[in-house]
Amino acid sequence: MGLAEWATTLVNAMTWAMATFLVAAGLTLIFGILHILNFSHGGFFMIGAYVAFTLLTRLGGANSFSAYLLAACAAAVVVALLGALVDRVILQRLRRVEDAYVLIATYALLLVCEGGTKLIWGLGYQSLQPPSPFEGAVVVGNFAVPAFSLFVIGAGLAVFAGLEWLLGRTAAGRLIRAVAMDPWTARLLGVNVTRVFAMTVVAGFALAGLAGGLLLANQSLSPELASVFIIQAFGVIIVGGMGSVRGAFLGAMLLGLIESVGSYILPDLPGLLFFAALAVILLWRPQGLLGRERGT
Amino acid sequence: MMPAEARAARNRFLATLLCVVVAGAIFPSVANRGLVFIAGLLWINVVFGLAFNLLFATGGILSFGQAMFYAVGAYAASVLSLRLPELPFLWALLVSGLAGAGLAVVAGTVALRRSEGVYFAVLTLAFGELLHIVITKSTLLGRNDGLNGIRRPVIDIGMLHLDFSAGDAFYYFILVVCAFLVGVLWMVTHGAFGRALLAIRQEAQRAEFLGMPVQRYRLIAFAISGAITAVAGALAAPWLQIVTPDLARWSNSTNPILFTLLGGSGFFWGPAAGAAILSVVFYTTRTLAGIADLATGGMLLVVVLSLPGGVLGLLNAVRQRATRRHSGTEAADG
Repeated sequence: MGLAEWATTLVNAMTWAMATFLVAAGLTLIFGILHILNFSHGGFFMIGAYVAFTLLTRLGGANSFSAYLLAACAAAVVVALLGALVDRVILQRLRRVEDAYVLIATYALLLVCEGGTKLIWGLGYQSLQPPSPFEGAVVVGNFAVPAFSLFVIGAGLAVFAGLEWLLGRTAAGRLIRAVAMDPWTARLLGVNVTRVFAMTVVAGFALAGLAGGLLLANQSLSPELASVFIIQAFGVIIVGGMGSVRGAFLGAMLLGLIESVGSYILPDLPGLLFFAALAVILLWRPQGLLGRERGT
Repeated sequence: MMPAEARAARNRFLATLLCVVVAGAIFPSVANRGLVFIAGLLWINVVFGLAFNLLFATGGILSFGQAMFYAVGAYAASVLSLRLPELPFLWALLVSGLAGAGLAVVAGTVALRRSEGVYFAVLTLAFGELLHIVITKSTLLGRNDGLNGIRRPVIDIGMLHLDFSAGDAFYYFILVVCAFLVGVLWMVTHGAFGRALLAIRQEAQRAEFLGMPVQRYRLIAFAISGAITAVAGALAAPWLQIVTPDLARWSNSTNPILFTLLGGSGFFWGPAAGAAILSVVFYTTRTLAGIADLATGGMLLVVVLSLPGGVLGLLNAVRQRATRRHSGTEAADG
């Protein structure tokens, strides 16, 4: 591999990693606090993308950068509201149910998302018409980085930094971490655990909607979008250690590198190395890179 | 010697199975070909669901990768039928079952390192997706287009010459093989191995202290479930006459989960009832995009949130209340 190929592989790896991290962030947040693996996360990611798409095509401004960001934020708000509803109607009733049933309930919710999307937006493929704000590339020497890659990498880093700050440096973050560690004692100390859980769900769903809006420009929208990213995101949070935001970030970078090198070496078998790496990492470290064994 | 209670349970099972098979055998004479086609798929789905529930209710492990076994069976039967047409179909079924068991041992060895619900679920899901990638990239397996033109077999057993290639004849073959597989699953569930699995499910640590090879039992259960699911897939291939990589996707893996939860995982026949209900739902909503997903997802949510026993659990509760009220009035009369 020459220098340019190395650079391309690295840019691809980081783009893959940050796009997947954007999806995985909300997933790992909810798992870390509520111990619920939310299958419907991909569904709400998809709804976020559709909401942003509808806003951009109906209100115009599809090729303005600030309109694109605003649409993504609007998608985050819409999906966050859905999250509040889902928490109230479904998740709060699953607190005393076996893990397996919780997982199946969130899968049922994914089906509802897909069915709803088909009803509202139809079955066909849709995508943003080309003059999108990310046409062209940034050229460094004889090497061109697509503008959208730079945007995704920046967005992923920003969301990671934001979450780190929120969880590590703010009172709300400390409260959330306390509840995650020991909800029973937290309740005893007068913390409204139900409210902290609800806040976490709303934040996790907002992240799903935001990711949908931010990643809109290089997606073709179809009701199958829900399952495209979710498998990658599951892989990333398993490798990183479920429930850890930093783990998800590291896991995304590691799997991004593996995936990107894999598609360079084995261009005919996309994704193969990703799953192989997943299996190997789990055999070597079943709890994930930054995970702790349960119960310790 | 079998205790009287166990004998009664076995007789009840055999009676139910007989009723189902008789109903299945009469069905083609009262229904059109489209419905017979759906009924054939229903018997296959019954086995698909029951094999999942062996893992879920008896073994306490949640597999989200059952589609990989279904796909391996379907593809094995298709490749054998297209490449080795002279190989008897019963051998093809056997090879499919062995392929399913082999795959289950490989996948299970990795995935059972994290057998707690969520991890095992996601790992098996990932294996299914891996198989999907392999299928879409393999020329032997027809890549994204899948394999088509799979013939329904002609079977020679000694003097017996059975031609399943015409009309609905293969339907009866599906019915008989599925009834046999259901019988096998019942025996596994209610035999010594099933009871050991149940003990592990309830108290894994205690079972381990008592010297039971917990992980090996779980792996064997996974292999049995994989083998039977693969045979179900192998039956589906000639019935559908086309196999596509979508059979290996996780959306197919969730089918037996839906059957089981809807029907009631605590009942042996639960997945069968669930499969029947979902067949009706899909048949009635087949022209309305989105409604089928909404209905399935909604029903599943209702079951998980407020009917953990599924439809059979609900029927059971209703029947018990009726009996109690009945005996109550009798006592009052006396």
